[in-house]
Amino acid sequence: MVERRVSTGAQSIHFGPFTQGAALTRPPALVVEDYSFWFKIPMDGEAEAALENVSFEIAQGEFVLVLGRSGSGKSTLALNLVGIYPDYFGGHNQGKIMIAHPERGLINRRELEPGERFQLVNMLFQNPQDQIVTLSVEEEVAFALENYLMAPAEIHPRIDRALDLVGLKGFRERSTVKLSGGEKQRVALAAMLAMEPKVLILDEPTSNLDPVGTSEVLDAVDRIREHVDLTLIVIEHEVDAVFDRVDRVLLVDGKTVHGPSDPREFLDQHGLEVRDHLGLWIPQAVEVALELRRSGVPIPRIPLNGDELVDSLSEYRSPKAEGRSEADTIRTAPSSPPDRPAVIDVQNVSFSYEKDQVLKGVHLQAYSNELLAIVGQNGSGKSTLAQLFNGILRPNEGTVLVEGKSTTDYDFAHLVKRVAYIFQVPEKQFIRNTVYDEIAHGVRALGLTEAEAKPRVESFLEGLGLLDHKDKSPYILSHGQKRRLSVACMVVAEPDVVILDEPTFGQDYHQAQRLMQLLRQLADKGAAVVFITHDMRLVAEYADRCAVLAEGRIVYEGTPPELFDAPEVLAHAKLKAPPIHAFSRRLVGRSLLDTGELTRELKEISDAKPRTGV
Amino acid sequence: MPNLELAYRAAESPFHRMTPSSKLLYVIGVSFVAIFNTNLYVALALFLFCFSIAAFFTAVPLKTYWTLGKVILPFIIILMIVFPFFYGGQATVGSDEIAIRTPFKDLSWAALGFGGLLALRFLALGVSGLTFAFTTHPSDLVQNLSKRGWDYRIVHAPVLGLVLFPAFLEMGREISITQRIRDLGQDTNPIKRKWVRLKHLAFAMLVLGLRNGQTQAMALDIRGYGAHKTRTFMRPAPRSRGGTIFGWTFFILSIVYLIYQWSPETMQWNMDFS
Repeated sequence: MVERRVSTGAQSIHFGPFTQGAALTRPPALVVEDYSFWFKIPMDGEAEAALENVSFEIAQGEFVLVLGRSGSGKSTLALNLVGIYPDYFGGHNQGKIMIAHPERGLINRRELEPGERFQLVNMLFQNPQDQIVTLSVEEEVAFALENYLMAPAEIHPRIDRALDLVGLKGFRERSTVKLSGGEKQRVALAAMLAMEPKVLILDEPTSNLDPVGTSEVLDAVDRIREHVDLTLIVIEHEVDAVFDRVDRVLLVDGKTVHGPSDPREFLDQHGLEVRDHLGLWIPQAVEVALELRRSGVPIPRIPLNGDELVDSLSEYRSPKAEGRSEADTIRTAPSSPPDRPAVIDVQNVSFSYEKDQVLKGVHLQAYSNELLAIVGQNGSGKSTLAQLFNGILRPNEGTVLVEGKSTTDYDFAHLVKRVAYIFQVPEKQFIRNTVYDEIAHGVRALGLTEAEAKPRVESFLEGLGLLDHKDKSPYILSHGQKRRLSVACMVVAEPDVVILDEPTFGQDYHQAQRLMQLLRQLADKGAAVVFITHDMRLVAEYADRCAVLAEGRIVYEGTPPELFDAPEVLAHAKLKAPPIHAFSRRLVGRSLLDTGELTRELKEISDAKPRTGV
Repeated sequence: MPNLELAYRAAESPFHRMTPSSKLLYVIGVSFVAIFNTNLYVALALFLFCFSIAAFFTAVPLKTYWTLGKVILPFIIILMIVFPFFYGGQATVGSDEIAIRTPFKDLSWAALGFGGLLALRFLALGVSGLTFAFTTHPSDLVQNLSKRGWDYRIVHAPVLGLVLFPAFLEMGREISITQRIRDLGQDTNPIKRKWVRLKHLAFAMLVLGLRNGQTQAMALDIRGYGAHKTRTFMRPAPRSRGGTIFGWTFFILSIVYLIYQWSPETMQWNMDFS
């Protein structure tokens, strides 16, 4: 036997004492006892644990949110709970994971055959595309049932029930390839539900989806909870819509797991440390409440959503907000675009992929020194439009001008140096073997000698926090590091325009902030930064202007506040304003998009109120 | 986006009711005759037969066949035009009399017939292949072959390919775009640049393909793929006695015709096996 010595590896951020949640009111569905996991044990017997002495219990029927920074081990924990690690992809474990078996009671996972285990605990992955394996909806839902030798007579009612639960009644015969992102994710969810598992883990189920797709999936989750006695564990960065739905939260920090505990207690106990220290996204309503509490405003009970925030701050509501509801709209006309020549000028552009017309007579301008957000539903043509900006695609009709000259008149190699395009998946951007060479490639293209390039590359890497990794392969960096590198290698040559597809996809709060600040700096230096996103919170906080694409046309251009004050545009493009837009109006009488600004106004109102001593 | 033109078209027709293996016998029979036949009239009859099947027994509009047919038509026309120049006396139908004079070579009626034979050969193969694709649900094929003793994981592999391959191609397209954007191999000559880009494309697709493949393997595993040696099928298997008789009859006739054609008296390619 190799003696196993556990090293601590990377230091996890110290996080204060963590209160274990109250005793379970229902029998446990899942019990993890002193569980540790190692990806591999090197020959010298020293190993770095990915999970160490993890213990927690989750009750039957609970809905648990798993929180943690990007790369903190949330997915590793989930894959261990399901048994993919270590049984399928290797690694070593010790300790116990017990699952509630309908007949045998709480039973060690090891005593179950993999097939039986997957019928009790299962998992939905982040990208629906990765888990669709058949050509029609009904086959997809039936796939696991067929593999587990279920009789056809039993399969059909299960398909109907599962599709009904996820709101896809009538979709049985549809082709899986023709579904939208949200529909695909719900089909994948139905495929899991059809197995009637006792515990279902959802790994960032909405991260690839637009706001409407996200709502559809979360509505499906609500319906499931209403009708099925299922324990749900969800890993999610999009916390605004989830925090008030869950019963408890579980925090994965490095290799340790804290909780689960009541979400309100969790926030009450740790306050803004969760965001500032751990880099976790927290709901905007919570952010405002915690900021106010930090500045001395008494908030006895932490609200989890906008309604609760409004209730808890009823005494501080501005007189201007009296009688205002979320439905009230104060319309502002879209402001005029900047009064300077556009760097990119899209003039009446149409584009088709064979028979599918994606863009129809699009007009759009992007200016230097601004962050322009392009928003719209999945499949509305956002990426296609962005790929016309640097000549990757050429319009069927109309013209795209870059600094007054048509993209078709540019030499492609020259144009792409001026208009940098950054894909959503960072790995697709890498062309060199080391982090250093990735950046140096762009610098060398400017004609600099190696001696001139080196300090520039190193200073760039230092600014991104990647200097220590300069000799590593880009493929082995963490997701956040890969994202920063993919941006850096495109902007190092100082392009006039930077286009990013979903810049903060899958990133935690700190990583997203760092990246967006980098983009702000680029814009401040004179670049036009265009980003495509589904994240309305990102648009609200960072975009100077936004363009809304729906059915192949730009249906709106204006500032984020103007857009979120135009409900018919949001409805047409199937978008949603971030929660702060609605609750700020009910609190201070006008819509705000910045939690800091709202907090300041509320603080001023609070300071102006005479203290009652309550 | 994936090209779905080859996908199954749900309809009610004699060919939809046939078992996939009966249809496979038909396609194999057509393929044998089309490939080994050297008689223009037989090739024409075979094509018309396949066309009639497609038109009257599949309930799939001919327009749907044309959508894909037009893609391979230029290839067939090129065969028709180019191959007569390589005619070396293979018997088809037609005389040695000069039919067309060209700057390269004078073409006889037999040479033109040879070009026509090649075109009809590929048309018959194409139409029968499309008939199979349009009328056979992939799941029925998996079910049919599994019940005949094939491992269902192997038979399901083409279905997985249909679902996953388009995404793999899209990934390759995006990596190629990146190479162009970042001007990979900028400091080398065009041939070396192609080589550098090809190497990088292979590596990146391997890395990303493995990563995606790992997730897809997980998705299959946790849904019991391979948990048992067999599986059930919720779709009722198509069954048609007439279809089975048709499939076997056509297959046997095609073999008989090939034997007849291969006999020394009728062998038209004059192949000497002695």
